[in-house]
Amino acid sequence: MILSRAAIRGWLGALAGAAALTALAGCAKSEPVAVGPPPAMRRLTEQQYRNTIRDVFGPGVVVVGRFDPITREGGLMAVGAASASITPSGFERFGELAESIAEQVVAPGNRDYGLPCAPTDPKAADAACARKIYSGAGRLLYRRALTDAELARLARLGDQVTSTLGDFYEGVSFGLAAMLQSPEFLFVTDATEADPQAAGKLRLTAHARAARLSFFLWDSSPDDALLAAAERGELDSREGLATQAQRLLKSPRLEEGVRAFFSDLLTLDAFDQMQKDATIYPSFGLVVAEDAREQLLRTIVDHLLVKSEDYRELFTTRRAPVSGALGMIYSMPVKDPNGWTDVEFPKDSPYRGIVTLPGFSALHSHAGRSSPTLRGRAVRELIMCQKVPDPPSNVDFSKFNHASVTKVNTARERLDIHNTEKACSSCHKITDPIGLALEHFDGAAQFRTVENDVVIDTRGELDGVKYDDAAGLGEALSKSPAVTNCVVNRALAYARGRAVGKDDNAMVSWLHEKFASDGYRLRGLLETIATSEAFYAVSPPGPARVAPGATPPAKTAALDGAATLENRS
Amino acid sequence: MANSTMKSPGSSASRAATAPLGLALVVFGAATLLAGCSGSERGGKTLGFAVVGWRTSVYETPYMDECPDGLAQGNDELWWKGVPPEERAILTKDGTIEPVTATRRAMSVLRGPKGEDVCWNPTSVKDPPLRVVEGGTSYGMNLDGSTDDQGGANSCPHVNFKSPKGEAGIDNQLYRILGCTYGWRRHGYIEDNANGERRDTSHGIVLIEVSGVDDVTHDDQVEVAFFKKAEGDSLPKDHRADILPNATYRADSTPRYGGKTRGRIVDGVLETEPLDVTLPFYGNLTHLPLVMKGMRMQLPVNKADRFIEGTVAGYQDLDNFWDYVQRYEYLLVTGQFSCPGIYVAMKELADGYPDPKTGACTALSAAFTIRTVPAFIEHDGVEPSGLVKPAVARVASTSSEVAR
Amino acid sequence: MKRKLHRRSVLRGMLGATAVGVGLPLFDCFLNENGTAFANGAPLPVRFGTWFWGLGHNPGRGVTPVSGPLEFRAECAPLESWKPYINYFSDFNAPMDGRVSAVHFTGWVAARTGTVPLRGGDIPDPTLDVLVSDAIGGDTRFRSLDLTSVGDPKDSYTLRSAGSRNAAEVSPIALYNRVFGTGFADPRAAEFKPDPKIALRQSVLSAVREQSQDFSKTVGAADRVRMDEYFSAIRQMEQQLQLSLEKPIVSESCVLPTKPAEGPVGVELETVEANHAAMTDLLTIALACNQTRVFNMLFSQSLSMVRRAGEAHTHHTLTHEEPVDAKLGYQAEVAWYNVRSMEALARFISAFGKVKEGAGTLLDNTLIFANSDTNNAKVHSVDGVPVMFIGRAGGRLKGGLHVIGGGDPISRVGLTALQVMGLKLPTWGTASLRTAKTITEVVA
Repeated sequence: MILSRAAIRGWLGALAGAAALTALAGCAKSEPVAVGPPPAMRRLTEQQYRNTIRDVFGPGVVVVGRFDPITREGGLMAVGAASASITPSGFERFGELAESIAEQVVAPGNRDYGLPCAPTDPKAADAACARKIYSGAGRLLYRRALTDAELARLARLGDQVTSTLGDFYEGVSFGLAAMLQSPEFLFVTDATEADPQAAGKLRLTAHARAARLSFFLWDSSPDDALLAAAERGELDSREGLATQAQRLLKSPRLEEGVRAFFSDLLTLDAFDQMQKDATIYPSFGLVVAEDAREQLLRTIVDHLLVKSEDYRELFTTRRAPVSGALGMIYSMPVKDPNGWTDVEFPKDSPYRGIVTLPGFSALHSHAGRSSPTLRGRAVRELIMCQKVPDPPSNVDFSKFNHASVTKVNTARERLDIHNTEKACSSCHKITDPIGLALEHFDGAAQFRTVENDVVIDTRGELDGVKYDDAAGLGEALSKSPAVTNCVVNRALAYARGRAVGKDDNAMVSWLHEKFASDGYRLRGLLETIATSEAFYAVSPPGPARVAPGATPPAKTAALDGAATLENRS
Repeated sequence: MANSTMKSPGSSASRAATAPLGLALVVFGAATLLAGCSGSERGGKTLGFAVVGWRTSVYETPYMDECPDGLAQGNDELWWKGVPPEERAILTKDGTIEPVTATRRAMSVLRGPKGEDVCWNPTSVKDPPLRVVEGGTSYGMNLDGSTDDQGGANSCPHVNFKSPKGEAGIDNQLYRILGCTYGWRRHGYIEDNANGERRDTSHGIVLIEVSGVDDVTHDDQVEVAFFKKAEGDSLPKDHRADILPNATYRADSTPRYGGKTRGRIVDGVLETEPLDVTLPFYGNLTHLPLVMKGMRMQLPVNKADRFIEGTVAGYQDLDNFWDYVQRYEYLLVTGQFSCPGIYVAMKELADGYPDPKTGACTALSAAFTIRTVPAFIEHDGVEPSGLVKPAVARVASTSSEVAR
Repeated sequence: MKRKLHRRSVLRGMLGATAVGVGLPLFDCFLNENGTAFANGAPLPVRFGTWFWGLGHNPGRGVTPVSGPLEFRAECAPLESWKPYINYFSDFNAPMDGRVSAVHFTGWVAARTGTVPLRGGDIPDPTLDVLVSDAIGGDTRFRSLDLTSVGDPKDSYTLRSAGSRNAAEVSPIALYNRVFGTGFADPRAAEFKPDPKIALRQSVLSAVREQSQDFSKTVGAADRVRMDEYFSAIRQMEQQLQLSLEKPIVSESCVLPTKPAEGPVGVELETVEANHAAMTDLLTIALACNQTRVFNMLFSQSLSMVRRAGEAHTHHTLTHEEPVDAKLGYQAEVAWYNVRSMEALARFISAFGKVKEGAGTLLDNTLIFANSDTNNAKVHSVDGVPVMFIGRAGGRLKGGLHVIGGGDPISRVGLTALQVMGLKLPTWGTASLRTAKTITEVVA
């Protein structure tokens, strides 16, 4: 059904009005009753691991190694981390990392900076200094103070090494390596205790709350101040939690948390494996790829954090930083070929909104050509949180010919053939109109007006809203309630490490109303979540997972269809 | 010749996309972005190019007809002729080895009667005359306007060439001197090496800015400026180490380098009016200025290709040329050239800009092939020293950028 | 509960009727006169591995549709010389029980886990190689070696569950460093000097294990399985360290390979083939040196992104977009890629055939489970997914046979492989894929 422009305007107006009303109401409305996920055990992501090492041991320690990948669930690795296991080969890798890091920490150049004390005799044991080192590093690595038994265990280990090798620092190095391989470090656990205010119920321990808050806003382990607040009991009250949340929100380190959130949401880890064909797209080398990812993140951070602007305008903004390498892709000059030039594209420019940035359009393309379907699917799933079903099997492709026989010039012509098949069109009409609006950008995000000498047609519609080009698509996205709901949904899921479900509907609605009434500012959303009850709420633990090999139970560790957006078409 | 008049506040050049071959590209951002900031008061588009290849134009026939006596004798050969048998025996270990060593190279140039380095003392020996080109065809342009061999108002008598297409009056004494020397011919490696080093180090790169372009096929008047690329901006390369197009380079504002002239576009080819200019040059580990007088350029500007070749012709200052030869001394053996021979020949064959007092010509007509890529030229961001402002980290490194 | 096997207990005799994991490289003096068993009667260890290629064969171009003696057709021509070692299974199906087929996923998951996944991304049961490595992988330095030729460690079809995937090595140099770098006891080194730090590393692991035991008391029931995997990983590491303390015995085929150069990884066909070949060669040496007994190699992904440089198409997009050639009757470009896949398989097999072991070769003592994800890539069919057994499995398998399943569940193939490898499983698979019927035709 195609709505007239006027009808759409009326509809949008009503929506805005309704939003305004609910916004006003939202100010008065209090947070719905919190329903939390069951406690979970999440493996550290690679970035969290790196950030923690940097925070604890300083930026001079180089972390070189490979991390087992975490599979996405509910569109986020932050959620998939709750199912991520450590395989024997994964443990092997963590062991190598642990040894390498520990060696660097005690190395002559670093030890004075990284360690809180020096032994009286570097060739012999020094129990006091060793204990100081283990308890200091251990508290930050385990995200809680070590027990006496744990300290004693490490001391025994360290002493054994010191007496064998005749070196205090070697001993410390092995002790640190032991901590770095421990599940206390590698897994972030939702430790719980009985809730003194609600008989029979559980709550997260103060340390678990500290961890949750810190990983949400800073993508790293809790710092000393946050742990101290936990230890003093300040995190048992909402006020105390809010104080710490405000501290983290005001810090420049918030940028890292926001980068991590959007990297997860927009699947930017796919850049690690993205390669463009060197003959078809010679300009799109490694530096361009790196810069495309960075440009996207800088644009987001600048818009949402630095300038605190409306989230919806991310899809219509004409501002982006351009590096020297990206200048070649845009075919435009930059002021600083070795750095970043802040650019505002002119009003008639096709570059409008983050969906037109190379970090999106080139990422969701093939190695040698663009892909309207991949791009459309990415918009639906990543930006609108709308699941696109997997392609069906047993489809007849005989109508669908390679260019060498039936000449199709443009992607639109090629995809139109898909839409003659009912089995295909039901999904392709969800994705392709979006992606086709971006067809001016080839597989390397370079602008073109024709494909095979045929003018590219970028007209389409998004859920009833028509547009002529990518800029129009951006406008349509900025007005779509699905877009703002999606980021709220994802933010809550990311914060709590669990996909949002039916139980969370009230919470999501409430968050969205606040988000809207606050002008869709991200800071506000993060603050609301970080100071909410729901963020720290926890339900009773789930049932035991059935061991593999038996009949699968009702709830298996299920992933989203296509754990990564694979090249389907 | 200063190029500071080319600066306009906040301006950068935009690469005009052209419309050949049915490919319609649109300049969207750059030109409109910089509306009002174009390089010329006349309006119109600005085109930019970076010269990534520079090669002496050497016309060769398959059987070396242009060198009837064979290739020029190299320094090494000339030295060896003068080495007595006893010494030869020692050097070749009684004929058992080929003594091509660094020592031999160093020894062979110290063949002056008192052990002088003959590149720095070219008149200390009397070598046989340099074998020069005797063919009739050469690349290049008619620089002095005359087709006879008598020279003109600003040139000395010299034999003219015909171009491969038959145009008479081509002046190219540089070719005459170097055209039979192995190192500068197709199989010699001197210029391949130089171009490779330019590509790898990004040194010695000339930038060309064409402004006031209304029509890339036909335009009666455009302005053309030459700049030295500032050190610090690298030539980006693809996986095969070929230079990529559409990068931005900063123009070095050092007054010594660069210049400005006029030009016109005929049938898509830009032709510039003569210009006296010093350009940067780098190759074979040698940094040099390239001092040109009456330099002209022909460059197609209506192509959408990645690499565009053109011609530069003009008079190379003789002292500058000799400087170039001397600094290439270490290539004597492999390039098979000889300094004294070139020294004598160049003085005899110089054909441009006669000295008002002595009448001897002080420059050599020359022609070069240039290989360019489309580029953007930025005029800001370069210190008076010629150095660019320091690079900033392009990618947020979480291990160093965030405060503890 | 895994027993920590010590050399002595192994040499004292066979443990049960199943193949015994021997934690040391082979040595001829331990072999009997025929070279087919250990001097004490224990059989030579049998290795197990998987090999995966995407997009199957063009319909009708893999093998002739006749059961009995195996006859290859055009796309399998590269395998001709290895036919005596190959058993081919066709027309075995994956009944969906009402579940929707996830393209490029359901086919291989059903074949390797015996269960049809609920949806794309769901791994309901461990892949069969994980079951084998649980049984026989604990006595070698590595539980398994997992390799991928297309550059992404996530392209690895060996998983215990969706959250527990064995990430693969992506390059020859990475594999070399892992297996033959520090920690490898070179059997040809003049002097064997165990690294003095190994004993200290063992202490570290003890401390980690103690810490983990305390920790696991606090872990909820839902996470018990992952804690078990974690302990399993610690044990594997302990085993690895223990083995490196023992003097290795010189073995004829175990020779330290030359360190490969760094090179590109990616999906361009030449790069894929080069990395595949180099990693295969290193793998066979690793097997000869008994560094592992289980391996997994992926040549191309289920939706093979392998491509030729300079072309916009990939193997996968061609299966959908290339028309059937009117004269040839099949997709010609797709066929070209399919043949290259089988050439790679032939290359893989030949590396095993080159390693001498006892009276025969490594191929005689290995079972390679080679499969794809689809029978007809153009239409994503999951019925009739081609599977092959390659190798004699220590004499337990016949060769050169084609078994036509007649629509039987494909889990019969997996069950047979597991039983040949000595796992005592009366049945395998779930729902309509649950089966007890071994394919006895191929069992010796």
